[in-house]
Amino acid sequence: MSLPFRFARRLEVNNKRSTSYRISGAIAGLVASGLLLLLTSRNPIRLLGQSLDAIFGSQRGIEGVMVQSIPILMCAIGVALSLRMKIWNIGSDGQFLMGAFAAVGVGTKLDVPHWLLIILMALIASIAGAAWILIPALARAYWGVNEIITTLLLNFVALQLVLWSALGFWRDKKSQVTQSTEAVQAVLPRFPGLDSVSISFIVPIVLAVLFWFVFRSTRVGYEIDMIGGNANAAEFAGINVKRRIVTVMLLTGAIAGLGGMLQLTGAPGAQALSGGFSNRFGLSGFIVAALAGASFAGVLVAGLFISAMFYAGIALQTKGLSVYIIFGIYGVVLVGIAVGETMARFRLTRTDPTSAATTTGASA
Amino acid sequence: MFGIIDNAFLSIVAAAIPASAVIVLAATGAMLNERVGVLNLGQEGLIGVGAVFAVIASLQWNVRSPWLAMLIGMFAAAIIGTIFAFATVVIRANQVLIGLALALGGVGLSNQLGNGRTGSPISTLFGKLDPGSAFTKNQFLEAFLHQDPIVYIAYIILPAAIWFVLFRTKHGLLVRAVGESPGAADAVGSNVLGIRFAYTVLGTAISGAAGAYMVLTITPTWSSDIARGRGWVALAVVIFAAWKPFRVVAGALLFGAMISLDTTTQARGWKLPFFNAVNLSFFLSMLPYVVTLIAILAPAGAAKFGRKTRATDAPASLATPYFREER
Repeated sequence: MSLPFRFARRLEVNNKRSTSYRISGAIAGLVASGLLLLLTSRNPIRLLGQSLDAIFGSQRGIEGVMVQSIPILMCAIGVALSLRMKIWNIGSDGQFLMGAFAAVGVGTKLDVPHWLLIILMALIASIAGAAWILIPALARAYWGVNEIITTLLLNFVALQLVLWSALGFWRDKKSQVTQSTEAVQAVLPRFPGLDSVSISFIVPIVLAVLFWFVFRSTRVGYEIDMIGGNANAAEFAGINVKRRIVTVMLLTGAIAGLGGMLQLTGAPGAQALSGGFSNRFGLSGFIVAALAGASFAGVLVAGLFISAMFYAGIALQTKGLSVYIIFGIYGVVLVGIAVGETMARFRLTRTDPTSAATTTGASA
Repeated sequence: MFGIIDNAFLSIVAAAIPASAVIVLAATGAMLNERVGVLNLGQEGLIGVGAVFAVIASLQWNVRSPWLAMLIGMFAAAIIGTIFAFATVVIRANQVLIGLALALGGVGLSNQLGNGRTGSPISTLFGKLDPGSAFTKNQFLEAFLHQDPIVYIAYIILPAAIWFVLFRTKHGLLVRAVGESPGAADAVGSNVLGIRFAYTVLGTAISGAAGAYMVLTITPTWSSDIARGRGWVALAVVIFAAWKPFRVVAGALLFGAMISLDTTTQARGWKLPFFNAVNLSFFLSMLPYVVTLIAILAPAGAAKFGRKTRATDAPASLATPYFREER
């Protein structure tokens, strides 16, 4: 290697350094995105000002961010849970859609009291989300098939199934123009004192606190972290790694599926299923989990941050921002996070040309 | 002379061959990346970037040659690929994260750049080669051979060249060694990072060609999310094809045929028992992804049940950054 610098592995990686490097990476990504916006003759400083104004300038903005954050956080918590095991669930979008799909099926066909219907929808949505990751989970645990592409391919199948239901077998026949299913009548009540946020906002917060506790002080959490650290060592220590992998993956799918039901029954104007039901919440959730480094306290903070960015992208569509630009910025920010994560584990040292043979830092 | 069934079959073949060429090119690019140990999940983004720059070249920069427009698309994808290679090979950041970032960012970038150009027709298209009157007399041969030059490059010239370099030259041996055992390649003096970097950028350029080809032949206009999942299918084809150039062609042809079966069925309004046209169309649009999934699971399942294993086909160092100290 003839590079003027080289990486030496740090003997110890502490969480604080890792977190601060990831955040620095994300900020560097945002700055780089701002420079790219300048290239397309947009003023990033003014857009930032307008974004902050759109978010914090009114109660509507803050509530808008909260509404966006519910599906994003649900997907992010699922992804973070599997990331603890070093498993990449890229299919949370599909699991989210299947949860909503199953919930619409129950919610528009069953004639029972609304409170009971809500409970049934939540149950069936969790089951559907878990079912949607069952094959990738079994294949990963028992056949050693990498889960990245299998979970991802099922996103496309789920999207086609949702489109099929919205335009085909569950299409709302009363209206000739809509390309969606009938709307569910059972909706969650609004959060006290808020106009558009439903009480579902507490679900991701409760889940995040629950998992934070599970990973801090229970045996199950410790075992999952152990599998993520070194699966062979965990197996040797007597943990049934394969069964744990399947359980955790099913749970991540169930959480994303429940997220789909919460969106269907809680978000304003999302009571019917259509092709645009999921605004790629799974991808946003993935970035949240990556930014948070699978820490559940971090997921909440990063989730609100990414949701605010997403909301700004929607609110400022007339002023030169767009969802496309937000996805572009996501990409750049994700590069920043990944580079930051690597940098935290390594030290950059100058190559000493006189003693290239001696290695400093890491041992072989 | 030919009945309706023959004509339908021939029209599917004639449409499937160029449609599959997109997947052949993207999968070939991805395969080159993976051969040197770099997993590039960003195919979807590279197809988008290649496509949108071919569109911009044709509509805005008045490039009159489809070849030049395609080169511009490839060049744009290679620039993005250089950033990808720098992050994954030099910085050694997590390939999954950077690959997803490329998929997201590339699709976002291309949609944004193409946004105002949706629907504008592109006139600089690849013309079809005339295979000669000896072949065009037979409808069957004509459906196969009356194709544009990129089809011939994607199906024959490119895989043959890659096969020859990888499996019949000393350089190719080193390239494969970098993907299988970078430590060993390093020990015999080959430049591991240099080879990884070069083949990563080369692969992204070929993936960009897939996008450029789409807008310069198949759908001669820009539409948002132009890759429509083909990038992910291409990644699955590489696994299905066990990282071998001509198997990539065969695998891509299978999936391309399914995609064009869907469009042909829609265009002709075909029906099946129990399915009306709407249902059939949605069912067929799911099919490529379901079959891709089965194609990934089947070899692993077969290996589990005692058949000949194919698990060792993947380059051994795939998705693993190389550090000399950890050799």
